[in-house]
Amino acid sequence: MHIVKQLMAIPGVIAAGEFAYRGDRFSYEGALTAEFARMASILCRSNTVNVNMQSEIFDSFAENCGYKPAQGWIVRGAQATVCNIGNYFAFIENRPELLNDVMTIMRAKVGDIGDDLLVNLYARIGGDVKEALY
Amino acid sequence: MNLDQLMDLPGALAAFTYTDKGDLTDHRVREGSEITPEVLDLLAHSCVANIAIATLEARGWEALTGQKGFEPLQGFSMIGLEWSAVVTGRCGVIVKNRDVNYENTFSAIEACGAAQHQGAA
Repeated sequence: MHIVKQLMAIPGVIAAGEFAYRGDRFSYEGALTAEFARMASILCRSNTVNVNMQSEIFDSFAENCGYKPAQGWIVRGAQATVCNIGNYFAFIENRPELLNDVMTIMRAKVGDIGDDLLVNLYARIGGDVKEALY
Repeated sequence: MNLDQLMDLPGALAAFTYTDKGDLTDHRVREGSEITPEVLDLLAHSCVANIAIATLEARGWEALTGQKGFEPLQGFSMIGLEWSAVVTGRCGVIVKNRDVNYENTFSAIEACGAAQHQGAA
């Protein structure tokens, strides 16, 4: 089953979706309008770029410290939480054990994010991504 | 909740406190881990920045969409390859991914952050 459908089958998951690393596309299911899903995709991609940039800095101070490459992030709100692994995101309610369940599924289904994430994030459509980044 | 109690969380590699500006004030590191005080200092600064950005996003999201429930933020987590940093206002903990219980960890750092706040008041 596709990860988004699997996440949406869990009670308490408000919405889930996938964004392209390049930022030009997104898909989603759940209680978001298309415009809000577009905004959510931009927000999630932006935070993903941010934590990846930070992982590069940590790695420059302590190589192989165990953080790089960044896998994702969580924003824990008062009654709702946003989870992001790779290029997948989920908006969930704060219910007992739901965050742990969602994170377990996302990590298992998305798998480990590789070192090429930044290359993909900064890729220009149709461009030479290696040349553009390095 | 203090740093020694945070180190009792399953898989805890390090625990730390920091000022509103991100300066490290205290820390514990599990012997044998790859975490250094320099990494914790950087991490503390990134915690302040990330929580500020997340608060901005939560406030903006609630205002634009009308969806409530994000503010006040309880915390932020950065998930790395081997470990996750779970942080709140003035307190953070690094936990191995294979052992982490995110909900318990967020609750623990919230209690630690509240204790730090009371101590500073």
